Amino acid sequence: MIWFTWRQFRTPAVVAAGALAALAVVLLVSRGTITDLYASVAACQSDCGNAIDAFLTRFYNSAGGTVYYTTLAIMYAAPPLIGIFWGAPLVARELEAGTHRLAWNQSITRTRWLATKLALVGAATAAATGLLSWAVTAWASRVDSAAADRITPLVFGARGIVPIAYAVFAFTLGVTAGMLVRRTVPAMAATLGVYTALVAAMPLWLRTHLAPATHETPPLDMGNLDALMIDRSGGMAIEPNDVANAWTITNQPITAAGQVFTGPADTTRCGPDMPNGSCAEWVGSLGLRQNVVYHPDSQYWTLQLAETALFLGLAAALAIVSFWWLRRRLS
Amino acid sequence: MTTAGEPVIQAQGLTKRYGRRVALTDCTLDIPPGRVVGLVGPNGAGKTTLLQLAVGMLSPTEGSVTVLGGRPGDGPEQLAKVGFVAQDAPTYANLSVKDHLRFGARTNPGWDQTLADARIAELGLDPSQKAGRLSGGQRAQLALTMAVAKRPELLILDEPVASLDPIARREFLRGLMAHTAEHRSSVILSSHLVSDLERVCDYVIVLTDSRVRVAGDIDELMGSHYRLTGARRDAADLPAGAEAIEHSHTERQSTFIVRSLVPIEDPSLTVEQLTLEDLVLAYLSRSVAAHRPELETAR
Repeated sequence: MIWFTWRQFRTPAVVAAGALAALAVVLLVSRGTITDLYASVAACQSDCGNAIDAFLTRFYNSAGGTVYYTTLAIMYAAPPLIGIFWGAPLVARELEAGTHRLAWNQSITRTRWLATKLALVGAATAAATGLLSWAVTAWASRVDSAAADRITPLVFGARGIVPIAYAVFAFTLGVTAGMLVRRTVPAMAATLGVYTALVAAMPLWLRTHLAPATHETPPLDMGNLDALMIDRSGGMAIEPNDVANAWTITNQPITAAGQVFTGPADTTRCGPDMPNGSCAEWVGSLGLRQNVVYHPDSQYWTLQLAETALFLGLAAALAIVSFWWLRRRLS
Repeated sequence: MTTAGEPVIQAQGLTKRYGRRVALTDCTLDIPPGRVVGLVGPNGAGKTTLLQLAVGMLSPTEGSVTVLGGRPGDGPEQLAKVGFVAQDAPTYANLSVKDHLRFGARTNPGWDQTLADARIAELGLDPSQKAGRLSGGQRAQLALTMAVAKRPELLILDEPVASLDPIARREFLRGLMAHTAEHRSSVILSSHLVSDLERVCDYVIVLTDSRVRVAGDIDELMGSHYRLTGARRDAADLPAGAEAIEHSHTERQSTFIVRSLVPIEDPSLTVEQLTLEDLVLAYLSRSVAAHRPELETAR
């Protein structure tokens, strides 16, 4: 059965290996760009903020920047593609073509038939995405450390071990969907829909609950504002900058009573005719605090491990469902 | 290998329902070993359901079935004892003939590679040919080769010749007969055509509207069914022990097809032997006749 599973999976495996090899070549070639641009940062002894900013600006505008964004897209696309093209057809195509009637009448139980398929193609899924994520994470390590953004949502899902869990989950989801729906194309669509919804829900609502966030209320730092806006009726919106080297969940100015500060603005100090800085000076005199909730970079691995465990757990639950369905309902 | 006298299929009140639709109703069977069994019935009668229950592809809603003394599809040993060719002989379109044989060799402990190779050579199939490029007849032969090379005690074939042209059909059945004669395995094959089964089978099961109408040794059935023709009369007036299966009347004459375990010796009746086709058709039309009044009352 191992040989036969491999025989059926050979072509997709070769395609994936080819794609990985091509990407490896691109990463190896463009690695030089990062090293060259990074030289100024590496040489910097103290007060390196400007050197880092210059490095990042030049990197994002170089060919390396294109590679960077492409790898980001690849990291997000690989797991659902595996779910759609390796997972969904694995059983659905057999049910569609009727070949399960041939396979299930050889001298092996259908449980073993499914177990072999899941184990072999599942292992290939983990290996392929593991290799991919390792290569991309290593390639982008200097950029990530300079930008200090590996814990922010966009980068987090494209680095480390989380992509492996995403892919294993997507694969198992595809297999299970194929079994329930019994048709390849609808199973592919279902896989994409469910996978996208869940992975999008992680940064939006779920990930922050995987580790305790840091909650602080320091005095409002007027020197570190992203925006200060006043509308016609005197309402104000003050947006402090995100916390450095962290994933900022909330960052709002609050009054001493704990309410979010939204004005009203003092029209004698704030307005289009007032001198520059007079409004900021007034806001600074109000004694506002900041309500900050964030995950510091030190929680990166805690979140990576928790999210990996979550998706692997979901994959295991789906595998159990698929075995149960195979024994009870597919008859 | 087959324990002498152990029935190949034993079914007790076997019933399969899909939601409200009944595919097989209260089927009780006891098929002796070493037979070539023909399962006849119109399309949709429940033949595929019965065969899939026997190989464990389906599980019964009610009742039970044992095949060669075991529960169908229950574990590798039971699977090894039964060879199955599903309807339309499914094969992997993008895998070669050789890949299929290798699949069989690696998943069946009793695999007979010599037999498989010999059959493929005899059929003139190119081992490197993809199964998707084979003709319907060649594909059926490949599926049969896989089923026989695992050396099963029982071979179950679901409509194996339905999609074949007359020449391929004759060749397939000839190959099947040669195989069963040589390896003395039991065979069950289904068809909606009696003529397919007439030459190869020695046991017949007639299935219509999800029910088994008659099952038995063909010689015994032929020896106990007659066509009686005589002056017009009712079925009640037939000689004792004769059960009318089918009757038709003209103004002056009545024709019956009857089942009788004793020879009919009534000088007022002409007694004729039946062909297998007559016999099967009589049972098929009886089930239709039995349903007609219901339809009328329903209206």
